[in-house]
Amino acid sequence: MKFTAVVEKELRQLIRDPKTVFMVLLMPIILTILFGYGYGGRTSFPIAIVNMDQKTGGYTLSDQLRNMFDVKAYARTREEAVELVRKGRVYAAVVIPKGFTEDMIAGRMTSLEVIYDASEPVVAQSIMQMVGVIVLQFEIWASEKFKTFSISPLFYSVYGPGAERVENFLPVLMGTLLQLVPTSLISVSVCRERERGTFEQFAMTPASRFDIILGKLVAYFIATISDVFLTILIAMLLFGVQFRGGMLDLMLLSSIFLVCSLSMGLLISVLSKNQLQAYQASIFAFIPSMLFSGMFTPVNLLSDVAKIIGHSLPLYYYLDAFKAIAFKGMNLQLLTYDLEVILIFTIIFSILSMDLLRMRVE
Amino acid sequence: MIAIEARGLTKKFGNFTAVDNLNLTVEAGLAFGLLGPNGAGKTTTIRMITGLIKPTAGTVKVYGHDVSSERSKVIEKIGYMPQKFGLYEDLTVEENMVLFGRLYGLSKSDSLQRSRELMEFLDLKEFRNRLAGKLSGGTKQRLALAVALIHDPLLLILDEPTAGVDPPIRRQFWEIFRDLNRKGKTILLTTHYMDEAENCDKLALMSSGRIIAEGSPSEVKRKAFGGDIVEIVLSKPINIDLQGVKVMEAGDGRMKLLVDDYSARVSQIIARFGPDLRDIRPVHVSLEEAFIKLMRG
Ligand SMILES: Nc1ncnc2c1ncn2[C@@H]1O[C@H](COP(=O)(O)OP(=O)(O)O)[C@@H](O)[C@H]1O
Ligand SMILES: [Mg+2]
Repeated sequence: MKFTAVVEKELRQLIRDPKTVFMVLLMPIILTILFGYGYGGRTSFPIAIVNMDQKTGGYTLSDQLRNMFDVKAYARTREEAVELVRKGRVYAAVVIPKGFTEDMIAGRMTSLEVIYDASEPVVAQSIMQMVGVIVLQFEIWASEKFKTFSISPLFYSVYGPGAERVENFLPVLMGTLLQLVPTSLISVSVCRERERGTFEQFAMTPASRFDIILGKLVAYFIATISDVFLTILIAMLLFGVQFRGGMLDLMLLSSIFLVCSLSMGLLISVLSKNQLQAYQASIFAFIPSMLFSGMFTPVNLLSDVAKIIGHSLPLYYYLDAFKAIAFKGMNLQLLTYDLEVILIFTIIFSILSMDLLRMRVE
Repeated sequence: MIAIEARGLTKKFGNFTAVDNLNLTVEAGLAFGLLGPNGAGKTTTIRMITGLIKPTAGTVKVYGHDVSSERSKVIEKIGYMPQKFGLYEDLTVEENMVLFGRLYGLSKSDSLQRSRELMEFLDLKEFRNRLAGKLSGGTKQRLALAVALIHDPLLLILDEPTAGVDPPIRRQFWEIFRDLNRKGKTILLTTHYMDEAENCDKLALMSSGRIIAEGSPSEVKRKAFGGDIVEIVLSKPINIDLQGVKVMEAGDGRMKLLVDDYSARVSQIIARFGPDLRDIRPVHVSLEEAFIKLMRG
């Protein structure tokens, strides 16, 4: 099991290289979060108010909310408010219940519902805090004027358009994460060893080139697939993206495509003279995949030529299957065609690269 | 025992012949030096011996095993230190050693054990957790030597092990080499430092892909000049007509003689000139002078 020594070595080198750590581990996560938040921070928070009380208490509270928030809409019903949040018109809606004023005067405990967009977790956090402050101020004001009064806020989460943004962005991210990142990582790493002469020391040991290649494959597989897992987790937990298909199917499909990309990276490495060439070739191989495999433009909107190019690239089949599982709820057994094509690509890349790979530099 | 036997070894790069029909025999247990200027073909020769490149013609045997057909047996025997540092700069000293130990089939713990021993032997302990890329030249070379020794090979092939290393550290290296020789290991090393080559048991002088002289340092020098050089001082000019003795330079009384074998002729010379001989001493020739003489033919 000499390759396990190589796996360890590769992972060690990986985490010691800040550029790679950024590219492999952080970039996808940062991108997901950026996309989820619709790029960038917020200074004002648009909210909606549903005032079912329509009396002094309700009006006073509304006034106070207006001081702190950008109140964009007034809804009549709770359902209307939920819809506003879901569509992304506002980040939250505050529902002042019927009988709010009576409760206040009588000093009865009452509740205040806050419907918030859970796909904007940072915004939601701020809104909750601000509502907390307003409620406290209101309680003090009311308790001085009438009797001791307390309001308990109820928070209700709705997934707004952040989820949809992430959902739309996910295929782009997966494509980058599972093709560009692994092909460039492995091809650059092989070329680096060749350039620095480290393969020569390797070639003097009884370890075969399969140990080295397998070691690299396994290491980059581990790094990339854990990233895929993290990204999917973030999409689900932070932004409430709903995957209709099975997580296991999604991971399995991604794993198979990842092996395909890694073998493509190997092929690139044997065809490139140096690290720079390997990196450029990885990007170059990614461009048509990106343009014609349905990452940005849906495949059915492409010209015939573009369609043909798209279909001759493995990413197309991966994205096709990914979308089918993630958003249409299909399972992997129904997608054998996509899987077969990806496997064929993998076999071709592997055979070619194994055959061409020479560790000994002439 | 013969550690390395190369016959008719030739390497061509296109039209250019880097190594030309080279024959080389290295006996086991010696420090054998391959000496020559840059571009002489030393590295190319070594890479053919290790099997890293295939010869255009010729064969190499290492401890009786043919390099091209029995490479796995040959690899076990050889510890190789390339001219260019070939370890991982982003791994520590210990990590590099353990990695290569494991690639030689040692278990993780055995490899660690062996690394510790070698770090002790080569004074690397204090650098254990230092990244290889952060080491000084001499320490880097020691690490490369440690990795070459990790599987306890019989034959060490070291390509310019002391290049760019300060003379005191170079001496330290030679102490290590001698220590390894005493442990029964054979060392084949290349160098372009002529003074360093004096330390070798045997030398092969290379130029333009060929061996132009071979033997112990003193044999090589004798070959270069066709004998030993002796300086004598006579009280009066005397004609010299001794067998095996030629005059190289003659001044007023002070002469340089070329003697076919100094130790054999010294008594004859003393007997011939008797009291007219004021002084006689062998002249020290450097390998460099010998090399230049050999190059001029
Ligand atoms: N891969 C190669 N392709 C072409 N020429 C080479 C190659 N390797 C070495 N040479 C040439 O062969 C000659 C001998 O090189 P080398 O064996 O490295 O010499 P040394 O180690 O004695 O300095 C040099 O002229 C060098 O340029
Ligand atoms: Mg050299």
